Order: sequence, then structure tokens, then C-alpha cells
Amino acid sequence: MDDYANIWLHRAKWAYLLLIVATLMSPVFYVMYISFNENGFGAAQYVFTTRWYGLIFSDGQLMDALRWTLGLAVTTTVLTIPMGLLAAKFYKATRAKVAVVFLLLAPLFVAPDILSAALLVFFKNVNLSFQGLGDLAGVSFMDAWFRLGFTTTVIGLIIYTIPYAFVVILITMGRYNKEQTEAARACGATGWRAFWDIEFPQIRAGVFSASAFTMILCFNEYTRTSLLKGGFDTFTTVLVSQMLNEGMSEQSYAMSSFVSFVAIALIGGIIVFTLLRSEAAARRAQPVAEPNTVPA
Amino acid sequence: MTDATDTGLGGLPPVEPFRPTLRERMSGWAFYIPIVFMVLFFALPMALTVVFSVFERTMFWMEPGFSLLAYENFFFSARLENFLASMGYSLISVAVSFCLGFPIAVFVRKSVPQAAQHRVVLLFILPFMVSEIIRIFALRPVLQRNGLVNETLLNLGLIDEPITALLYTHTGVIIGEVLSFMPFIVFSGFLAMEAVPKYIFEVCDDLGAGPVRRFVDVILPLAAPGIFAGAVFIFVNGLGVALIPNIMGGPGAVNAGLIATQAITALDFPLAMAVSAIMMATLMGLLYVGHKLFDLTKILAPMN
Repeated sequence: MDDYANIWLHRAKWAYLLLIVATLMSPVFYVMYISFNENGFGAAQYVFTTRWYGLIFSDGQLMDALRWTLGLAVTTTVLTIPMGLLAAKFYKATRAKVAVVFLLLAPLFVAPDILSAALLVFFKNVNLSFQGLGDLAGVSFMDAWFRLGFTTTVIGLIIYTIPYAFVVILITMGRYNKEQTEAARACGATGWRAFWDIEFPQIRAGVFSASAFTMILCFNEYTRTSLLKGGFDTFTTVLVSQMLNEGMSEQSYAMSSFVSFVAIALIGGIIVFTLLRSEAAARRAQPVAEPNTVPA
Repeated sequence: MTDATDTGLGGLPPVEPFRPTLRERMSGWAFYIPIVFMVLFFALPMALTVVFSVFERTMFWMEPGFSLLAYENFFFSARLENFLASMGYSLISVAVSFCLGFPIAVFVRKSVPQAAQHRVVLLFILPFMVSEIIRIFALRPVLQRNGLVNETLLNLGLIDEPITALLYTHTGVIIGEVLSFMPFIVFSGFLAMEAVPKYIFEVCDDLGAGPVRRFVDVILPLAAPGIFAGAVFIFVNGLGVALIPNIMGGPGAVNAGLIATQAITALDFPLAMAVSAIMMATLMGLLYVGHKLFDLTKILAPMN
């Protein structure tokens, strides 16, 4: 039976699909709607205000947390993306594909609380071992190694985001024609030059979306960050402690909406940008693929 | 620099570009960085959970030793009941997610033009881009006594009293899990349906198989590895994400993730490690069974 034999059934299926997306998104939109209400949740009257957002940006602790969050997100992205790229290249070249893919995708299947509990105890033990080693050798520079803090959080976040980066990059690499690298190498280009001048421009869109994806995941992450962070606070940890201690306040609605706005703006921006870019890339593809005349 | 050991063919100088430079040979090792990193900071800590789980508990930490106290604390207490109960609820979430989500994957593969398929699936990434804690917290004002759902139903006159079973109950946990993890069954179902060529639908029509037989006898067996991967993902996260029972559940809604985080708060590290080890064993067992049944490497086919 083809889909257009019963056009209403076809339309009903589309309606169902969109209804599910809307249901998944509706709590977020509802929170955004509440966040602009002067009287907060459940009030009989709706009065529009941006006062709650003003409160966030004048809160020193929150702004501090926001800076930490951004720092974490940027650092993690800068480290995860090259690693994802290396891993994807390695996967293409290796024969032990199942082992590599298992190692890189397994973090997806380990729940956040379990993984971060394991990492927390691991880091504490490693830190204690380094302190013991330092004591034996009479030096103190190792005492802070793997103490819970920025570094341990970044490691936790890399493990969390690398499967996504790996998959996205691997899928874009699938469209790349490997003969082009061989051609470049035959013309005397180094491995790096062949990658940077020939392959990278063609997989740039994938690398770019993997970066954005990683940024958003780090920005949103709560469990791993809160267990591995040590002293400082991030936006989501402040938000959760506020929600658990004081219940949902007007300000926490505004904070939630703010985080959602950032994520939606980012992903919306990327979709528009990549669409524009893929068109531009298609136009540019020809000159890029031509032999490069860099002196050897 | 001339290489004394390397005499060229027939007295000709050796051909330079075919010898990798030192930098290139060094950079070959760079490709092992992600692997080493994952072994060191992922595989090793996960494996060590077994070791740490038998350490002796001290006041604030633990010390090397051999003690099965943590496992005893887990298996001979309410924790085991909670764990098994959360497995049951997790299975319900998997089933509900599958029923709601998998038809979408089939529909997209079957009826949406090839070029637009990825964009339609991308729609399901949108909710995933909003922080999970916010999506879960946001369900409170929606499902609460005076929340969006109850208000709407009351205004429509469909119910006389607000439904209170939606939040702080096991139902609440299942709703939370389904709304959080359903996109994954759409994604994995979509990947799984790659194994079901479009002509299969026509063949089934020509041979007179109805939609039920087509689904049970043809689509399910072909797409099984991908469906299994998605189901395991949801099951394991239903067991392991502490936030959902913490926020949506009432008394008794405790899963493995919550047991582990509570153990850490109580500074009972061996117990936390025992829970992690049990979760790892559960996951490994599931993946092993799945691999025996469906050959999970088939899922990787689209990536090669």
C-alpha cells in the first residue's frame, strides 16, 4: 500500500510525530512561559516581566558559576574534538574495529551516576597514591595531581562527550574519498598537509557540529560535574542545589529558561550555519581539491 | 644529512619523500592518544570498581583489604528490593518508549523522502539539547496537582479532581524516563531500519503479508540489533540515572544510581563501588546475551 492511497493516514502519522516532539519540548516551553511571569508559578494573574532574569545577572555567585561552566565547556571541547578526530582516523585504519568502537562508545551505556562514582573513587585513590609517592621522595609538587577539581571534571566530561564527537566525525568521514589523501601523498604532501588541506575542509561541517554538540553537553551536564568538580560551582550545580533546597523559585525558572535559551539558540544557529556552509562548501569543493603549490 | 647505511639503487641517491620524517613517525603515536586515554580513565576506573568494592570501609574513606560487607549491605537489605523494583520500572519505560518511539523510526524510513530523513530525525535532538535536569525539573510544574496537565484536563471537564498519581510516584518515574530517553529509541531505531531496505515493504505487500506479520516476521528480526542497543541504553539509564527517581519519584523510588550517590554522600565508598560493579556486570551480561542473540556488530555496518 503506498502512502498516498490513504492521505489522511499519512497525515495522521506526521501529526503523531510532531505531537511527540511537541510533548518532549512542552515542559521546557512551559518553564519559559512561567519565567516571564511576575507572580511566578500557579498564580491566577499573568504579568509579563524580565525581573527574574535581571536577578540572575546581578547575582555574583551565579555569574561566577557561569564563568566556570564556560571554562569547562571550552576546555573540554578543545580537547575532545582533536581526540575524536584522532580516534575516528584510528578506527578507519585499524583492524581491531570492534575493540576500538566498544571502548569509545561504551561510556554511552554507563549511567552518569555510576561512571562518576567510579571516577571519583579512582581519582581520590590516584591522588592519594601520588601524595604517598611524594612523601617517599620528599617532594610536594605531585600532591595536587588528580585532586578533585577542574582537571578531573574535564576528564569526566571528555569521557562523556567523546562517543558523540567520535560518531559525528566518523559519519562525516564516511563521505570522504580516501584516494584524495593518497593522491596528495603521491604528490609529496606530508600526512599532516594532506589532512589539513584536503581532508579537513571536507569534514569541517562534521567537526564543527561535533564541537557545538560537545559544548552544549558540557554546558548542560550536572551529575558528572557535581561529583567530580571539587570546590567550584557551575551553573547547573547552583541551579539544582537551589531547587532541592528552596524548591522551584521564580529565579530558578528563569535560570532554567536561560540555559534552555542558550542551548536552543546555539543549535538553531548551527543548523542555519551548516546549511549555509554546506552550500558554500559545495561551491568551494572544486578549487580546494586542486593540487596545492606549496614549496616543499 | 646523508644516511651512510642507505645506499640507493645503482648508486642513485635514495628517494627522499618516501621515508617518513621523524616528526611523522612520532605523530603516528598520536593516534593512540584517545585509546590510551579511554583505557586509563574509563576502562581502568570501571574495572577497579570491583577491587575497591572489597576494600574495608574506614570512617571517611577506605583501606586495602578484603571484605564482602559492601555486597552484604547490598544483597541483604531493602537495597536489593529497590534495585529489582527499579529494574521492573525500567523495563516498563523501555516498553513504553519502544511502542511510542519505534513506529516513528519506521515511518521516517518508509515514508519520508531519503534526503529529508536525517532532518526529521534531527527534530528529536532538539529536546536532547536542553539540559536533562531542566527537562526533568520542568515536569514538576507540568504534572503537579495544580500543574499544566491537571489544569487542562479540569478545564476541559474530563476529570473532576486533579490526578495526583502523576508525580512523586512510580508512574512519575516512568513518565520522566520515557520523556528523557525516548529520543534514543528513535535514533537507534532509525539506524536499525537501515538494515530494512525500502523494497521490503513492497515485497510484503505483493506477497500479501499484513502489517502485523510484516512487523513481527520481517522488520523486527532485521532491525533487532539496533532495537536491542536502544533498549539496553534506556534500561541501563533507567537503572543508573539518580536524578529521575530523586525528583519525580516518591518514597521507595530508588534505583542503582541513587543507591550509589547516597552511598557516596554517606562516605560509604565500598558500597558505591559495589553498586557500580553490579551495574557493570548487568550491562556486560546484557551486551553478551544481546551479542549472542543478534550479533551486535551489525549495528556498526552503517559506519564502515
